[in-house]
Amino acid sequence: MAETVTELDRLRAFADELIGDSADSWDRAGTIPEEIVRKAGARGLMCAQVPERHGGLGLSSADNGELTAFVGSRCSSLRSLMTSQGMAAWTVQRLGDRKQRAALLPRLAGGEQAAVAFSEPGAGSDLSAMATRIEPDGDRVVVTGEKVWITAACYAEHLVVFGRYGDGTAAVVVPAHAEGVRVERVPEPLGCRAAGHARVRLDGVRVPAAEVLGGAGQSTELLVSTALAYGRMSVAWGCAGILRGALASVSRHARTRTQFGKPLAGHQLVARHVAELLAAEQTATRVCAHASHCWDTRSPEVVSATVLAKYVSSRHAAAGAATAVQVLASAGAQESHPVARAYRDAKLMEIIEGSNEICELLLAEHALSVHA
Amino acid sequence: MTTTPEPTADVIAERITRFLEERTKISFAVDTDVFASGSVNSLFAMELVVFLEESFDVEIGGSDLRLDNMRTVRSMTGLVQRLRDADEDGHG
Ligand SMILES: Cc1cc2nc3c(=O)[nH]c(=O)nc-3n(C[C@H](O)[C@H](O)[C@H](O)COP(=O)(O)OP(=O)(O)OC[C@H]3O[C@@H](n4cnc5c(N)ncnc54)[C@H](O)[C@@H]3O)c2cc1C
Repeated sequence: MAETVTELDRLRAFADELIGDSADSWDRAGTIPEEIVRKAGARGLMCAQVPERHGGLGLSSADNGELTAFVGSRCSSLRSLMTSQGMAAWTVQRLGDRKQRAALLPRLAGGEQAAVAFSEPGAGSDLSAMATRIEPDGDRVVVTGEKVWITAACYAEHLVVFGRYGDGTAAVVVPAHAEGVRVERVPEPLGCRAAGHARVRLDGVRVPAAEVLGGAGQSTELLVSTALAYGRMSVAWGCAGILRGALASVSRHARTRTQFGKPLAGHQLVARHVAELLAAEQTATRVCAHASHCWDTRSPEVVSATVLAKYVSSRHAAAGAATAVQVLASAGAQESHPVARAYRDAKLMEIIEGSNEICELLLAEHALSVHA
Repeated sequence: MTTTPEPTADVIAERITRFLEERTKISFAVDTDVFASGSVNSLFAMELVVFLEESFDVEIGGSDLRLDNMRTVRSMTGLVQRLRDADEDGHG
């Protein structure tokens, strides 16, 4: 019986080899070696959903999700770079015109790293408060503002910057090394420590007007939700991965560690932790798979299903990672140990791309309009 | 090559109205502001985008992502027709 090896299998094997057992040390160092990021990018791992006609691998959302979960089970920092890169590519694909897609997507698919910048000191959950300005000036635009907590910015060649344009909003692609751009690393973030978060100052940065994606002056809400749709899906799958990693650590430890004359798993209170982790991992996987199915079949339900996946998966990941630390106890209580990382990383997933509370507001509104 | 006849404005409007009704349980007149009703949420505009794209085989790209395009059955119908016409001109 010949087993078919899929592109997804090959990508997982590639990621497995690339990450090896280095994630702990990347976390401690607060950075992933450039060489690794470059290799992952060149293989197309970072935004594997970009269509083949644009130089990408053309993975379905479901397959890209599984790939994201695999990387997320090993290293949430590298997974975060994938999320940013994929979100940048998706933003170009959705908001850009044909010329922009043709110019930018092959570069992103080929590994030029990108970051996506919405958040500002005065605009976190409320992105309508963004103050960054994109102002036309002849055949150029001038970008001025301050962005905070921009994942991947320390590795990035391109920054997709959202800001006010006329009486609406626009996204513009700014070279990270353009004059007037300053990228300042966030010192010692709680989690995803090697994901290169930075404060980005844009001081009258001049770029060609052709870098403004798809015209300009669109609705903030539609623009932001379009970009975030990918980010939410990616974080959701990444959290399913965190749960897979936690489940593996816990299962191994509960079988091998003996206390009171039997393996930990032989104690029913510990066994319950294992069962709960399994249920959490399966729940997260199913809700992500459903959202990806909606994405791949282009069902309008994709919009709410994606928020649901992000919400359910990140909540389970945060709770599940805490459970994993509980079961490993002192064995997992060391800085940068996989479950210690999971504990710190997962907590942040309840904050980004729509915090728990923001997702709850969206889901409640959705429920009230559909089920009332 | 597809030989499906181009849907008329009435056919497009009819399908949009039906989707709105299924989804919101409200029957909207062609010029009623969907968002002013208060019964649809902020994600709903995105749902409409995906619905229009999938149902009428169009791509609603950057410059068309405006709430005004999604506001009424008439404006959505106009958007779909414009995008389909542009496609005929070899833009696809
Ligand atoms: C690890 C990490 C990576 C990030 N990466 C990026 C990135 O790549 N690009 C980017 O642009 N940004 C990024 N961010 C920023 C992130 O998007 C924001 O942190 C997030 O949107 C929340 O904003 P805030 O931190 O300002 O919190 P606030 O908006 O100040 O919220 C504080 C608390 O109040 C709650 N709250 C706010 N409004 C409401 C409300 N209406 N109802 C109920 N509760 C409410 C929130 O849920 C939260 O619990 C990142 C952040 C982190 C931590």
